[in-house]
Amino acid sequence: MSQSSGAHDETGATESKTSAASTDATLNARVKSPKRNGSNKWIHIIIAAVAVVAVIIGVTVARNSGDTDGSAGTANTADTVTIGLKLAPVSLDIRHQSGSAIEQVLIGNVYEALLSRDSDNKVQPGLATSWDISKDGKTYTFHLNRNMNFSNGDRLDAEDVAWSINQLKERQYYNANQVASLEKAEVVDANTVKLTLSSPDSNLLWYLTGRPGLVFDKQAKYDAKTEAIGSGPYTVESFDSSSRMVLKANPKYWGTSHKAVTQNVILRFLTDDNAAVNALKSGDVDVLSPVNATLAKSLDSKTYKVSAADGSDKYVLAFNCANAKLSDKRIRQAIRYAINHKEIIASRGNVDYALGGPIPSVDPGYEDLTDLYPYDLDKAKSLMAEAGYSTDKPLKLTLTYANTYGTELGDQLRSQLAEIGVDLTIDYVEFSTWLQDVHANGDYELSLVDHAESHDFYKWTTPGYYYHYDNKEVQSLYAKALAATDDASSNDYLKQAAKIVSEDSPADWLFGYRVTVAYNRNISGFPEKLSQTVLPLWAISKAQ
Amino acid sequence: MRFVCRRLLLFAGALVGLSLLVFALLRILPGDVAAVVAGTNATAEQLASLRSQMGLDKSYAAQYGDWIVGLLHGDLGTSVVSGKAVAAQVSSHASVTFPLIVFSLLIALAIGLPLGCAAVLTRNARLRGVFHVIAIVAGAVPALWGGLLLILLFSKGSGLLGLLPSQGFPDAGWSAPLSALAALMLPALATGITAGASIMRYTRAAVGDVASSQAVDMAMACGMTRRQAVLRVALRLATPQLVSVIGLTFAQMVTGVMVVENLFALPGLGSMLVTDVGNRDLVAVQSELFLLAAFFLFLGLLVDLLHRALDPRLKNATVGSGEVLA
Amino acid sequence: MNGRIRTLRIVARSMWRRASGRYALVVMGLWLLVSAVSLVWTPYSLLATDGFDTWGSPSSSHLLGTDGVGADVLSWLMAGSRTNLVIAVLTVVVAAAFGLLLVAAMVSCNSAFSSASVVVVDALISIPTVLVALILSVPFGASAAVIVAACGFAYGLNLARILRPSALLAARSAYVESAIWSGASPIRVFFTHIMPNTLPVLSVQLSMSAGTSLLAEAGLTYLGVGVGSGVPSWGHSLTTSVRFISIYPLAVVWPGLVVTLVVIALNLFGDTLRDAIDPLTNPALREAA
Repeated sequence: MSQSSGAHDETGATESKTSAASTDATLNARVKSPKRNGSNKWIHIIIAAVAVVAVIIGVTVARNSGDTDGSAGTANTADTVTIGLKLAPVSLDIRHQSGSAIEQVLIGNVYEALLSRDSDNKVQPGLATSWDISKDGKTYTFHLNRNMNFSNGDRLDAEDVAWSINQLKERQYYNANQVASLEKAEVVDANTVKLTLSSPDSNLLWYLTGRPGLVFDKQAKYDAKTEAIGSGPYTVESFDSSSRMVLKANPKYWGTSHKAVTQNVILRFLTDDNAAVNALKSGDVDVLSPVNATLAKSLDSKTYKVSAADGSDKYVLAFNCANAKLSDKRIRQAIRYAINHKEIIASRGNVDYALGGPIPSVDPGYEDLTDLYPYDLDKAKSLMAEAGYSTDKPLKLTLTYANTYGTELGDQLRSQLAEIGVDLTIDYVEFSTWLQDVHANGDYELSLVDHAESHDFYKWTTPGYYYHYDNKEVQSLYAKALAATDDASSNDYLKQAAKIVSEDSPADWLFGYRVTVAYNRNISGFPEKLSQTVLPLWAISKAQ
Repeated sequence: MRFVCRRLLLFAGALVGLSLLVFALLRILPGDVAAVVAGTNATAEQLASLRSQMGLDKSYAAQYGDWIVGLLHGDLGTSVVSGKAVAAQVSSHASVTFPLIVFSLLIALAIGLPLGCAAVLTRNARLRGVFHVIAIVAGAVPALWGGLLLILLFSKGSGLLGLLPSQGFPDAGWSAPLSALAALMLPALATGITAGASIMRYTRAAVGDVASSQAVDMAMACGMTRRQAVLRVALRLATPQLVSVIGLTFAQMVTGVMVVENLFALPGLGSMLVTDVGNRDLVAVQSELFLLAAFFLFLGLLVDLLHRALDPRLKNATVGSGEVLA
Repeated sequence: MNGRIRTLRIVARSMWRRASGRYALVVMGLWLLVSAVSLVWTPYSLLATDGFDTWGSPSSSHLLGTDGVGADVLSWLMAGSRTNLVIAVLTVVVAAAFGLLLVAAMVSCNSAFSSASVVVVDALISIPTVLVALILSVPFGASAAVIVAACGFAYGLNLARILRPSALLAARSAYVESAIWSGASPIRVFFTHIMPNTLPVLSVQLSMSAGTSLLAEAGLTYLGVGVGSGVPSWGHSLTTSVRFISIYPLAVVWPGLVVTLVVIALNLFGDTLRDAIDPLTNPALREAA
């Protein structure tokens, strides 16, 4: 007994071990207590209990020490890396299925786009090595890599590129509306493709790093929901949206720079935050992306690297401008003054960043607009009073949001807004109901959703979108930003537009979600930034 | 025999009613699968084309007809979201849930039957009190809380004694039987203990009733000890009742099982249903709900027939109580 | 009437005399008291949140600590007790009404009707509560009503099946036969002669149903088909406490403990009530009669 607890003190590094040791200490104390003189039965029971605990501890120690022996091996790399993700794509059909989960997993790994993006959200070469833009900004000519092929062996050339883009337009595949100005794609020669635009679009290159730029095999016939044939460094070996996806290095990969370092990458979908952290601790997964910021604090920094990076996720509390109550700008402003963003961020583990406007820090046109509507209860109350409401005569509003975001945000908003005389009812619905009521029908008062996409300012210039925000000045500024041929002036127009939107307060931006990523220190090559939308895995490896 | 026929007829009728109910209830739902697939960037044209692609523009009668014809051919349909056969989806998730239920039930029986009999047998008032307390306390723990306590006690990572995997199911599934069993251990305990307490109560009551009856007195008069009489005669006589109770416990454990599945992040039927309802994948959901409800109806049928077969007293009672009364 | 009150007093006294009965009565009394108090006063308003003080440990300002949004756990548990009280009471009422109706049908004189109802009960009884709740919550959304409906349905069926033997025994007895011969209406016979015979079993079953409905509330709320968000209930408190079990394990202790203690009380209440109202086991009652 004493031996096993001695062994504990030497190796007892983790919480569980020390507390186990303390349990057996109390049991020891009990054995030595005067009760020994009592009935024989009790002694037997206690001895038996102690023995059981001792055996359990012994087994645990033996097992744990076995683990450490195993991990201290040679400096080879393992042939399998397991990554824990939170959201699972429901199918592999990237041309129809919405959501960032599917983009995160497939783009850059299984499917490749004409262009790619780096961890700073900047455009980099992809299937195309270089491109020329005409003076008027309406013609783009892309020069492709040579000798490219798909994972099934089919050749990938200009024919496939033009076909993919024309299909996107014709069939209105997902995100086709992002490249609305794109008219057609034409094959110039086997390695050159020409895109023609109806009007210049400074965002086009960036959009071509995402779904609109993906290149599919014109010849191949396959069920796109359950199979994926792309040109990327990995192929999908198996996929079950309720548990995992297995990626295998593509043996026929055409390139050399993005060739997969690790043979097998297993993506496990862990929706439960606690389960995810436990999986990391027990070594079932090597990487967690994202990890819950609060839980990540329990990870030992010697073994795990935990980091947080800005992303494009914006938690948007939209005010329906077409609603009678909320068409009053004073009420919208009062709500913005009344929300204590710092408190919300603190309760979420103090990782996220305050965001005062529609453009996130990783996108062009970002500037810090948090000073426009600082937390100011007095101002909020006086605005409400002007509009005719107070805590005695509260304004009834309903917040509709999807139950995927947790009840906390709704509870906090209800609590904070109660102080200025807003009686907030929370309608906590399924995401599908939210899509129907809020997004499709625009039938809501307040709505909360995480708009994860990057470069999505156009939603504020589309009056038909569920925000119902219609400001001609913003629309013309955005048009100028798109038409601008140099980045600096484009960014400048975007900044102006974003500031006007924020001043108008058609929404409050609760915070920009920063993704926390945790991985075992024996992992290298994991892309820490923007991993929620694009997660290129070719470089990842695990030292053994 | 008449009873069996009637029971089978009712089973068939219930299935038809069930299919209508499930189909109708699901159509009341707001939102549709096309909107979910198309997401927050969707345009009206995209939605319309998706809807016709998925057959959502057909009339309800046609949709119901398609579904029923498929069911009759043993085809549960194909999920419009994942593109996989519903049958495959159900069976892969059921391979977690059903072993879990069976495992829980075994634990419940292992706890409930001996303790229940012991509670009847013991003459020691104190011991009897202890059994009583066990039954009462164990039966009062919410499955969710029981599961949490077990995680805090035994799980790797967050427990006091890092013995068992706390959450998740091994990737390899049942091809790694030991780790699969280990993954189910804590969840099964969480539901099994509570169910065990209720089985214990029922056993004590059922065996106790028979034990104080003439049958046991008779057996003791013939020279059996009380212990023998209870275990051989009373338990045997209480069996039909216990079979019913166990059948019911099986069905009632499902709530707890779905909770612990969620808590232990197991890819079982519960999470599948919630996901599919969330996606508005109605073709999948209606088949899944129908299949599950049909399974439990069938289980009820089975338990009923078994009960009759085991209880000789019921053999001549062709129907229920009414005739006897009249 | 006087006699009934006297009987009640005897029953209550003999329950109180036993330790388990005393525990049950005290806990249930506390439950009622806290529910009533929570209507007018809780230590903090349910609306009060504090993002800077989340997952607080028990302290003098927050006796049971704070939850993930910094709300006072004790206040939410107190307010939750009234929701749970309503759920338990309604479940018992629905289950009793539904169950007794079925029992009456099953022991009725009309043989076709009675046998049909027996078979219907047998067929439906195997449908799990959670499935009923899931099916109901899909179109109607999560609410306490879904819990009551699902539990009332399931426990009513259960009750019917369990009561049937004793009801049948009574229905077949000589005094019922003589009552029928003497021209008493079937409904009267049921309530005066058959139901009292099932009372011991009924009391146990109903109090267990109340307990089980609390367990079901916790489970269903956790699964998202129980009480809606923002409504205080013990299941809600338990569900919110689960989020960070690995780093704030203490948070899950309180709501679970409350549910367990109350369910124990309800089960004990049923047991002691059965013993107290059964003249066979309660000599005081025999003497009074």
